[in-house]
Amino acid sequence: MPELRRDPVVGRWVIIDSDHSKGPLDFPKDDNTPTRQEICPFCPGREHQTPHEVDAVRPLKSPADSPGWLVRTVPNKFPVLSSDGFLEKEGIGIYDQMTGVGAHEVLIEGPDHDKSLTELTREEMQAVISQYQGRFRKLSNDSRFKYVVIFKNFGSSAGATVEHSHSQIIALPMVPKTVLEELKGAEYYHQYRGRCVFCDVISQEYQDKERIVVENSGFLAFCPYAPRYAFETWIIPKGHMADFSNTDEASQAHLAQILQDVLKKIKTALGNPSYNYYLHTAPIGYANSACYHWHIEIIPKLTRSVGFEWGTGLHIVPTFPQDSARYLREA
Amino acid sequence: MSQLRKDPIVGRWTIIATERARRPAAFVDPQATDTDQKHCPYCQEINAKGVYASHGVKVINSPSPILDDSKPFERRGHGLYDIAHSYGSHEIVIEAPEHIANMADLSVEQIKAVFQTYALRMQVHRKNPFIEYILAYKNYGVAAGSRNIGHSRSQIMAVPVLPMRVKDKTSGAEKYFDFHERCLFCDMVRQEMGNKERVVVENEHFVVITPFASRFPFETWVLPKDHHSDFADGIAGHEDSLASIMKDILLRLKVGLNDPAYNYMIQTSPVQDPSSFKEKYHWHIELMPRLTRVAGFERGTGFYICPIPPEMSASFLREVDINA
Repeated sequence: MPELRRDPVVGRWVIIDSDHSKGPLDFPKDDNTPTRQEICPFCPGREHQTPHEVDAVRPLKSPADSPGWLVRTVPNKFPVLSSDGFLEKEGIGIYDQMTGVGAHEVLIEGPDHDKSLTELTREEMQAVISQYQGRFRKLSNDSRFKYVVIFKNFGSSAGATVEHSHSQIIALPMVPKTVLEELKGAEYYHQYRGRCVFCDVISQEYQDKERIVVENSGFLAFCPYAPRYAFETWIIPKGHMADFSNTDEASQAHLAQILQDVLKKIKTALGNPSYNYYLHTAPIGYANSACYHWHIEIIPKLTRSVGFEWGTGLHIVPTFPQDSARYLREA
Repeated sequence: MSQLRKDPIVGRWTIIATERARRPAAFVDPQATDTDQKHCPYCQEINAKGVYASHGVKVINSPSPILDDSKPFERRGHGLYDIAHSYGSHEIVIEAPEHIANMADLSVEQIKAVFQTYALRMQVHRKNPFIEYILAYKNYGVAAGSRNIGHSRSQIMAVPVLPMRVKDKTSGAEKYFDFHERCLFCDMVRQEMGNKERVVVENEHFVVITPFASRFPFETWVLPKDHHSDFADGIAGHEDSLASIMKDILLRLKVGLNDPAYNYMIQTSPVQDPSSFKEKYHWHIELMPRLTRVAGFERGTGFYICPIPPEMSASFLREVDINA
């Protein structure tokens, strides 16, 4: 069973993956060769090579674990957290640890091995978003979990090890540090001004205009004022909404459209780079928060973090966000 | 001109470095250069006029500085956003006249001179009332972010704001001290030396451990056994001990893990109001071989997945034969 351990200095939790521990020489030096189509376990017809599916979009009502799906979610074959067992907490001297209880799922975004998100039709993209929400709601009902993270690694330098387009979902027994930091900042702002800081960011972005990439009737995509990475882009619902699981069908359609638009722009402007995106939403049980506002952060993987950034958390960004936004607008 | 900008939600500062401004095309697969000795800029710089030179170590101002102290420090607001002039200094430490890539291959004497140089430069920069933090760090190898990999060197940055990760560390240590009235790191040293399973190597003044909640495989921390909050003052009298343990652990990484890329960072107390950190903070070095990639989950949550227990990393590194 994996273990969760807490850093006694900064309070950051880490997952120690003791189940499939790698030997020291199993770390390849910079050559992740993603799985080829001939042996891809995510391709239709090989459903038996993955664990049993937990959910799927099957327009023709085909049976589970058979072809005929548009989107398919399966437990990760090598989960970083275990979905069996109970949360047990323990202290060892100055250290804290708990059992690695959680869920780790893979969401296969389409049957076609070579199609990336940008090549899906609008309906296919919408099926991905609706599956995100379905899994999110389902996992939120498990009382052992406090947070659900939906994320995507595209391209080997963003950490993808399987070519076939997919996202991942991890349910955690605690709220992760970066989300806690956002929550704390947002609560502080709300106490002081009585408004949501994200709503205020949106209105200032409209005033300044120069960092806006694209918008539609439900969402705004912009390059944040103080980014950590070049071409970092956020997608945020225009109206105040703390929790992703409350989005209705119309906003799912708008989200599918703007996410695909932004990914296409990144692909064109930057020559199909690797990227990560992840969804930040209010922790489970805080769906009606007046100070938090869910959003997606997209980070093209263009530079490597250096010692200075690791040591300080002060990121060095080689492009002004208004320039990033302009290149993306014009793409 | 470069700028410091503060994220309005979490309060994290970012440096936007326009001197290195890049258009989209410039990001396409930046190749590192492995210059031979004849064309190595650092072999030539070693003879040029630098900021400081001693015992074969040379400090020069970065040729493409991210920070600049030629204009006075200034802060202003823009609506809900905060901006500051990217004030500060950015120096390159050329560690030896010889064209040697990895610090592990320098002599203990040379490594000692490098760490003494860090301390001396920190003592100079901390006199500047606008400087809040000074970081000495190293990027070795392409995966650690180095663009020119032939000649061993490190960097020193002095910045006018307290960076977020430093604040995290000092406030965690402060909270622990306020409750227990003991230094968190002193307790850590005691617990690790009592338990031994995460100790890689130790000598008279230092112990190297793989931290209990490691983010990365083979992440190690070099901890001084004696309490001192500040690196520049704390190494006085312990320079030989530090240099020999650094050489030891860097060789273990090189031999055991097949010359991996790595970063190290000296974590020392903030510059301003040093007396408030004196009892509560404890300087140390974080050393991270770069064997895995940071993916979406880590970026999005700050939650790291370490694919090997630190106890296993420690036992592997303990057994590496550095004399082989």
